[in-house]
Amino acid sequence: MAVAQSDPEMASKGLKGGSLGLVAVTVIAIASTAPGYSLAAGIGGIAGHVGVHSPFIMIFAFIPMACIAAAFFYMNKADPDCGTNFTWGVRAFGPSFGWLSGWACIIADLVIMPNLAGISGQYLVLLFDEKASNNIYLTTFIGILFIGAMCWVCWKGIELSARSQVVLLGTEIIVLTIFAVVAFTKSFGSGISKNGGVLTGDDATAAQSSYPACSAVTKSTQSCFNTVQDGVQVVYHSVKPSLSWMSWSGVSSKDLLAGLVLAVFIYWGWDTAVSVNEESTDANRTPGIAAVLSTFLLLGIYLVTAYGSVSLLGPGFTADNSADALGALGAVALPTILYKLLIIAVLTSASASCQTTILPATRTMLSMGVHKAVPDKLAEVDAKHLTPAFSTWVFGFVSVLWYLLLVVVSHNTSTDLYSSSIGAVGMAIALYYGFTGISCIWYYRRWLTKSTKNLVFIGVLPLLGGIVLVYTFFATIRDNVGTDGDHALLFTGTGLLIAGIPFMIWCRLKYPTFFTYRPDPPDTVPDPGGPSGVIAAELGTYTQGARK
Amino acid sequence: MSSIVVVGIGPEGSGSHAADVAAGYATALGATMILVFGYEPSSLGPRGGPFEDQIEEIADEVTKDVRSALSAAHPDLAITVELVRDRPVESLIRVAEARSAQVIVVGHGGSGPFRAALLGSTTYELVHRSTIPVLVVPDPKAPDSDD
Repeated sequence: MAVAQSDPEMASKGLKGGSLGLVAVTVIAIASTAPGYSLAAGIGGIAGHVGVHSPFIMIFAFIPMACIAAAFFYMNKADPDCGTNFTWGVRAFGPSFGWLSGWACIIADLVIMPNLAGISGQYLVLLFDEKASNNIYLTTFIGILFIGAMCWVCWKGIELSARSQVVLLGTEIIVLTIFAVVAFTKSFGSGISKNGGVLTGDDATAAQSSYPACSAVTKSTQSCFNTVQDGVQVVYHSVKPSLSWMSWSGVSSKDLLAGLVLAVFIYWGWDTAVSVNEESTDANRTPGIAAVLSTFLLLGIYLVTAYGSVSLLGPGFTADNSADALGALGAVALPTILYKLLIIAVLTSASASCQTTILPATRTMLSMGVHKAVPDKLAEVDAKHLTPAFSTWVFGFVSVLWYLLLVVVSHNTSTDLYSSSIGAVGMAIALYYGFTGISCIWYYRRWLTKSTKNLVFIGVLPLLGGIVLVYTFFATIRDNVGTDGDHALLFTGTGLLIAGIPFMIWCRLKYPTFFTYRPDPPDTVPDPGGPSGVIAAELGTYTQGARK
Repeated sequence: MSSIVVVGIGPEGSGSHAADVAAGYATALGATMILVFGYEPSSLGPRGGPFEDQIEEIADEVTKDVRSALSAAHPDLAITVELVRDRPVESLIRVAEARSAQVIVVGHGGSGPFRAALLGSTTYELVHRSTIPVLVVPDPKAPDSDD
């Protein structure tokens, strides 16, 4: 590998560095996806919508994400910019589209922060005292500290050494697998059962409509409810696993869509890790093998844990405990030591996920700042830690505000804004991934017909992924605008996205130069199959009047 | 062929004390000194583009300052600068091996063994991995300068 230029004057872009091995690339891809945290946050909601068909949704949601990974890969080849879909959007459809695409990406990262903080606070307390984990003041306080700590880590540029990462991730995967296998085995035979708490009011009515009365159930292999003195008590029972759970038969299209929005979130991170960090020891083979390897590992983990989670005490238990589903299931399935390990795995996974949330968001902000699309203070890089300092703290500060807003509103009203954040982030991801897919096709339009490979990887796959995801976004809005829709989801999923429009208009008045940029003319787009390192002209080369 | 001394330089001129000490030895040996600045943004997010450009500007500035200070103090010393986009340890080893250096000189800012095991420490890792002799120069004024 060549050493960089000796003369600092000559040292410019394209310094060859980074020699990531196969294990490192695979570890980064899986750690960025954070399976432990994703499951803890997502499985309850998924089980609530699609029930025993959760394994199907796990596999199904992967398809659009993998399709968009192809778009990320090829757009990154033409323009490896840390602003990713922001700069790609500008190149394909112009500054406004790019700006909104970048905004959607930052918002997706922002919307997930309360959930990350909440889960971390809750699981940390769970480690020491199960009762206290319902104390909202305590968990919120820890959650805010957690956001602060993670911003500090990102600002300082602290990163675990490769070996520590492998140890942490290894533990996470092993514990999740043990949990899944134990849960799975326990549900065979006569299975196990567990009494839920006593429900009153609306919850009791809901339980009565979703479960049969225990007196009417002859076989004891079904969750049912007993009417008790002051309400209703549900008796959860295992459901024997079946291969039919991997099909969608019997799931309504509305539930399928709601499940998809949640499941998109569990793969978030995988795609960028495998497609944007392509440099490695053998750039031609390692990323490809790592992508395949991490895919099989992830699909495997999600599939078995989905099976274990919905079979152990039936999907109802998972859904009814959606706030800490993995913790509640783990407490039933595992002995204390392994249960604590599971909690620790979720915690380490959440901190990894927090880093892979803050870093992309602040780098998008940095890129937007450098290209003068937003105040350029956001582009400041700390001279000591070599990280985007101002962006990091702005992001952290706004995350805390948003977190507090959700906690306060949820605590004082009957709407639970807080638990809708997974669906909301799914919506934002669907939107900006969809934009990336469509940008890719339009940007490379001249190259699509040059080869079958181009047509498939730059045309068909991004189009498929893009359409599915953009459709998911709008259909989710459509499904929830009615009186019986989830208005909390609608608010958290679209509120901050819409807030971007006035902000963009303000930036347009303040920074008119950026908004004179024009999309790259199609004849200047580099060959997607060409050698790596041949990249598009700098952003801003094509402006209004400069070239028609 | 003259001997080569490789020196690691970090942000805000960390390692400049080590460079100063190394410059004394290099002058005595009649060696050429190579200042190496290794940097790599975290791979947990997209890198590339303006981010790396800005880091490079910082690296450029720091190494220029260190170089001019050294040149003023050691006018006979030949100094070159190499910026490498990789982790500092990799950068130092690669440059030293490629140039067949006699010694790698680094400063040591006092990161303890626990921190080093968890997060990695350039000096610790370098001492264990380098096939070329490593000279570690303790930094007198900042016992915990890695904070």
